[in-house]
Amino acid sequence: MKSNNFIRLSAVVALFLTASVTNAQDSVVKEPTVKLSYYSVNNTIPYLLVKTQFKEGKKYTPAANISVQVNMDGDSTEVNLLGKFTTNENGEAKLILPVSSQSLWNSASQHHFKATASGKNFESTETELGITKSKISIDTSSDSGTKSVTAIVSEFKDGEWFPAKDVELKIGISRLNSLLPVGDEETYTTDSSGTVTAEFKKDSMPGDAKGNIILLVKADDNEFYGNISAEKSVPWGVYKKYESNFNKRSLFATRFRSPVWLIAMAYSIIAGVWGVLIYLIFQIIKIRKLRKIAA
Amino acid sequence: MENLHQLTAEKITRDLYPQKFGKRGMIWTATLAVICLIGAFAYYRQLKNGLVVTNMGDYVSWGIYISNFVFFVAISLVGSLVTAIFRLGNVTWSTPLTRIAEIIAVSAILFASLIIIVDMGRPERLLNLFSHGRLQSPIVWDVVVISTYLLISILLLYLPLLPDLKIMNQQKDTNPKWANKIYTFLGSFWKGNKEQKKINKKAVILLSITIIPVAFCIHTVTSWLFATTYRPGWDSTNFGAYFVSGAFLVGSGAVVVAMYMFRRFYKLEKYITESHFDHMGKALVLLALLYLYFNVNEYLVPAFKMKKPEEAHLSNLFAGEFAPMFWFAILVGMIIPILIVINRKGRKPLPMFIAGIMVVIGAWFKRYLIVTPTLLHPFLPMHDAPEKFKHYFPSWEEWAIAMGSLAGALLIITLFVRIFPIIPIHETIEENEIK
Repeated sequence: MKSNNFIRLSAVVALFLTASVTNAQDSVVKEPTVKLSYYSVNNTIPYLLVKTQFKEGKKYTPAANISVQVNMDGDSTEVNLLGKFTTNENGEAKLILPVSSQSLWNSASQHHFKATASGKNFESTETELGITKSKISIDTSSDSGTKSVTAIVSEFKDGEWFPAKDVELKIGISRLNSLLPVGDEETYTTDSSGTVTAEFKKDSMPGDAKGNIILLVKADDNEFYGNISAEKSVPWGVYKKYESNFNKRSLFATRFRSPVWLIAMAYSIIAGVWGVLIYLIFQIIKIRKLRKIAA
Repeated sequence: MENLHQLTAEKITRDLYPQKFGKRGMIWTATLAVICLIGAFAYYRQLKNGLVVTNMGDYVSWGIYISNFVFFVAISLVGSLVTAIFRLGNVTWSTPLTRIAEIIAVSAILFASLIIIVDMGRPERLLNLFSHGRLQSPIVWDVVVISTYLLISILLLYLPLLPDLKIMNQQKDTNPKWANKIYTFLGSFWKGNKEQKKINKKAVILLSITIIPVAFCIHTVTSWLFATTYRPGWDSTNFGAYFVSGAFLVGSGAVVVAMYMFRRFYKLEKYITESHFDHMGKALVLLALLYLYFNVNEYLVPAFKMKKPEEAHLSNLFAGEFAPMFWFAILVGMIIPILIVINRKGRKPLPMFIAGIMVVIGAWFKRYLIVTPTLLHPFLPMHDAPEKFKHYFPSWEEWAIAMGSLAGALLIITLFVRIFPIIPIHETIEENEIK
């Protein structure tokens, strides 16, 4: 009986230890991942962005110096090969579609990309992406003080452009590293004619020297079209001359630009106190000179 | 000084004349010197290797050095309280305490200046404060006000010393040669004639008036180093008054401790009497209550509102990592001394000494609590900050330098007492004659 208990206890301990070791191993597993994104800006030559990462639990860390090969519409011939490259320190690489792939690109309205990544401690990993050629065109109108932006999304099918409906778009003004929505909505969805109109409510936005601002319409990570965007410059902004306050007197300015009130206050206090101290030092000198007078 | 009127001028001079160190004095001085040397070695290591030897980092960039600096600045304020405020208020009982207070002030402010240079890491960069300093910066105000206060304190120590230097110069035969050189250099010109006395008296009154606003400035400006930021625990309009009241308390505590030590080891019972302890005790209770009042303001009002950025800081103080130190500082630094000293029996020398020690130790930890916990809770925490940024405990080098500076301040006081009379001889004789 005792022997049986010992065996059971040992089995439980062994099971526990095995589970612990397995868990411990699981917790350090780094799963290699590759992400492939398609970008088309202003209907010009598209490019692909490849991102190699390690997945640890829910956290992603960049995998640098990973070799990546990208093919389009198969991998049987050299024409299908778009390029071979290595990811940078952020695990990223950008591939502009080469001239050699132009005929293959023009031959169809839909394309299929495949990225294969491998490297040190990074097992060979593949990812695929299919896109339909598409474009965004922007039109603007200004009627009795009301400005509006109209975006039309079209997809390429059988050699012709057709409206693309139900595409979620962001319509805004291009600012530094961000997009400022032109109206109250964050996103807009195209109707059956592939069109969406947004009212422009951001008057008096700072523009360039001519008062031009850049309108930007984009679809992010669309299931069929990838990342597509279009820009248009419109004279709806205002020119704001930059006025540097670097040389103005302030509490935050350089040492020679202290506020006058501070200089006056500080130096009058310093002069007052040190005036007394200098006077007292002269008094000590005076006491020294009086040494010849007897007590 | 109830029985002083029975004493002759010779007896007073003999009693108050600087004495050679006894065995205990030698051990005390040697111990302080050794602690200073260890501190100097630690500073050498810091100079050689850089601030990397400390445990300061991106979060706690002000550690034990700055809390020590604030402590020194605080303690130095007692010079203005006992010497100036009491003098201008015609408080005659404070005469034996003035020089004790002034030498504490001078040594403390001297080491406050040194410890701030230690904190800079690169001492030669002190010059940058003058060549590149901005008048808009409270750090520049602090440099100006500390150097001003140091000079005023030295003058306030020196000018009342002149009549005593005459007495020392009259007893050249009994003095060591090296001491005679000091006395001659500092006071051979003092003849005690009417004109000299008149100028000296006027100068001391002028200094007493000048030192009060400068003393308030020094600690208010030090508080502004913190209060001009938005950080939880520092962003307070109460800080100037809070710092000044705390400074008067710790300075008084230090004077009480020094009074007890000098009275006991230099046998000055006739000069520093129980009545002096009683008076200082009353002052101590008043100052402790005042400081407690400012503490209630400082912590209760933000705790009542519990703004989000303050929450982590206050919770950490009241019930978190720093709670034992916080409640120790409140209880030992304020409440228990009040309970001891508020009683007439508590204002006897020994209980007063114990209360004084508690006030000083509590005050040191209070300064640590003002500086460190706030830095551990930055207003804009870093993304993915390493765990070690979130905790701070000084390295041995930091402890050695901080303790070395405290020992250095005590060493200056000890050496001063060896050379100069710690109770003004001439003033005591004059007051005795008037009585």
